[in-house]
Amino acid sequence: MTFWEAITMAWKDIMRAKMRSFLTMLGVIIGIFSVISLVTLGEGMKGFMYEQIDKFGTGPTYMEVHGGKEGQLAAMATVKMTLSDAKAIEDRCPSLELVDPRNIQSGKITYLDKSYTSPFISGCSPALMEMMNWGVSQGRFLSDVDVLGRKKVVVLGQDLARKLFGGFPAIGEKVRINGSKFLVIGLFKKKGSIMGVNMDEYVAIPVTAAEDVFDTDKLAEIGAVARSIELVPQAVAEIKTVMAERHGKEDIRVDTMENSMAIMDTIMSALTAIVTGIAAISLLVGGIGIMNIMLVAVNERVREIGVRKAIGAKKRDILVQFLTESVIISLLGGVIGISSGVGLASFIMVIIGMPLVVSFWAILLATFVATFVGVVSGVYPAMRAAALDPVEALRYE
Amino acid sequence: MSRIVKVEDLHRTYILGKVEVPALRGLSFEVTKGEFVSITGPSGCGKSTLMHLIGCLDHPDSGTVYLDDINVSKLNDNQLAEIRNKKIGFVFQTFNLLPRLSAIENVELPLIYGFFTPRQMKEKSMAVLEKVGLAHRAEHRPPEMSGGERQRVAIARALVVEPSIILADEPTGNLDSKSSEEIMAIFQGLNNEGATIIMVTHEHDIANCTKRNINLKDGQVLADQPVKQVCLPADRS
Ligand SMILES: Nc1ncnc2c1ncn2[C@@H]1O[C@H](COP(=O)(O)OP(=O)(O)O)[C@@H](O)[C@H]1O
Ligand SMILES: [Mg+2]
Repeated sequence: MTFWEAITMAWKDIMRAKMRSFLTMLGVIIGIFSVISLVTLGEGMKGFMYEQIDKFGTGPTYMEVHGGKEGQLAAMATVKMTLSDAKAIEDRCPSLELVDPRNIQSGKITYLDKSYTSPFISGCSPALMEMMNWGVSQGRFLSDVDVLGRKKVVVLGQDLARKLFGGFPAIGEKVRINGSKFLVIGLFKKKGSIMGVNMDEYVAIPVTAAEDVFDTDKLAEIGAVARSIELVPQAVAEIKTVMAERHGKEDIRVDTMENSMAIMDTIMSALTAIVTGIAAISLLVGGIGIMNIMLVAVNERVREIGVRKAIGAKKRDILVQFLTESVIISLLGGVIGISSGVGLASFIMVIIGMPLVVSFWAILLATFVATFVGVVSGVYPAMRAAALDPVEALRYE
Repeated sequence: MSRIVKVEDLHRTYILGKVEVPALRGLSFEVTKGEFVSITGPSGCGKSTLMHLIGCLDHPDSGTVYLDDINVSKLNDNQLAEIRNKKIGFVFQTFNLLPRLSAIENVELPLIYGFFTPRQMKEKSMAVLEKVGLAHRAEHRPPEMSGGERQRVAIARALVVEPSIILADEPTGNLDSKSSEEIMAIFQGLNNEGATIIMVTHEHDIANCTKRNINLKDGQVLADQPVKQVCLPADRS
């Protein structure tokens, strides 16, 4: 009996009872499906995160100082950081290259009869430009003089400029922010959106002017860039020392890029572990299901086995016949699981607009696991079939 | 004339729980090429057991079976399977076709365990189906066929490997008299073409269609004599 004959034979037997074969596969399908869809989603999510960080323009030496403990949301922090904190960090942390204090509030920005509420009016320093790798398309960015002089000048994002001024030149015009007049000195280059926030509606004013119009000197965050990747941990330590000294206790946290990626990885591997556990149980149950059905199939076909042996089938031929059948059932379940898993993940990715990363290794591994389950659960029934005595089998009613 | 089968002092005892059932008790005879032998005897006298031993499906407790002068008692399971595949054509009382396969697929089955290309399998199977007059029903499955037709498919399956001997265990036992006659006509035709046949039956009419009769009783040969053969008209319409 050739390999191909064994496969066609098994295929016919599987197709003869389609519903039963499908139900038998279900455990394997569910197991493989859950792992493949999660792994594909996770890979896509990771790819998305990297893409976003890339777009953000900052690179791995970037970090942000927020008030509050690790894991606490920045917006909920009651700790007050001020411009003098930022100044102290800039002066006393030799590992840092750039420091950018940010006083961010939402606010209303008005030109003539048009007005727009921006969620991010950012009081910042000239350092922002270099830190973020952003650029201006027209005019200039904020200067040290603007900050020191508490000048009421503003740099606008492209989309916001178009909303306020239409096609007309914006530079040299005056807009009102929370009632105060600001001179438009520049427009940002187009940046697109990052994490669902349209960066082309960004509004940048001197951090000192922000203190005046927002009527608070509390900073939302302090951006900073270390001199090299190797210096990131040292920079974090320096910032913490300076702040602890100034505030009397450690009440701030430093979020590094590396940190964010590590958190993402931790979440993903925890999720993967859980789903792998579920999948393993599902595959175990699926394997037992296949074994059970194969035992039933052997019992149903005792007479057939007798006939096959009488006309010359060797033990090995019978073994191969039943083993092939269980492997095909399991492998078919695996293929259905893989394709529906990838299908679901792609569907979700397309809907939320994330990149689709299909892991070749995950698919290879899933195929291997499905085959393995088929072999393990088929061996015992197939051995029973092969061991049947031909005379007894022919007498079987 | 060449010897096809030789059995020597065969013994076979079944053990049913604690009871020993002696089925064959010292049985010897020879069959040469071209013979058409019927084996008769009351139910339970060991006819099927004998066929299983000659057919290499079972081992004797003692005694020897020679097939084409090979001592099959000395062979292992794989070698026996090979002998069954190449040298023996079985025909059973209950046909033993696989119901989900078509007639031609059933006939091809022994060839699957040999070394043939799909094309060779098709050609050989079609040729023997033609021989038993069922070429036109090649694609039909056994449940769509009459008993006589099923038995003819079974005969085709036995013939397809061009066996040294055909072993038929009550091949007409489940058939009406008309179908029985058709089947016997086929066997006679095959025998006239040179096939060696051993056939178990408990019907005198059937035994009279053969050329030699071995009568068993209690697992021993009671009589072994030539038969004045009744020839059937080999008409297969
Ligand atoms: N597998 C078996 N187990 C136990 N006893 C058996 C078995 N096969 C046959 N026998 C017994 O052996 C004797 C001969 O059986 P068998 O060869 O089938 O006879 P026949 O075919 O002539 O009717 C009978 O008494 C039968 O009950
Ligand atoms: Mg019998």
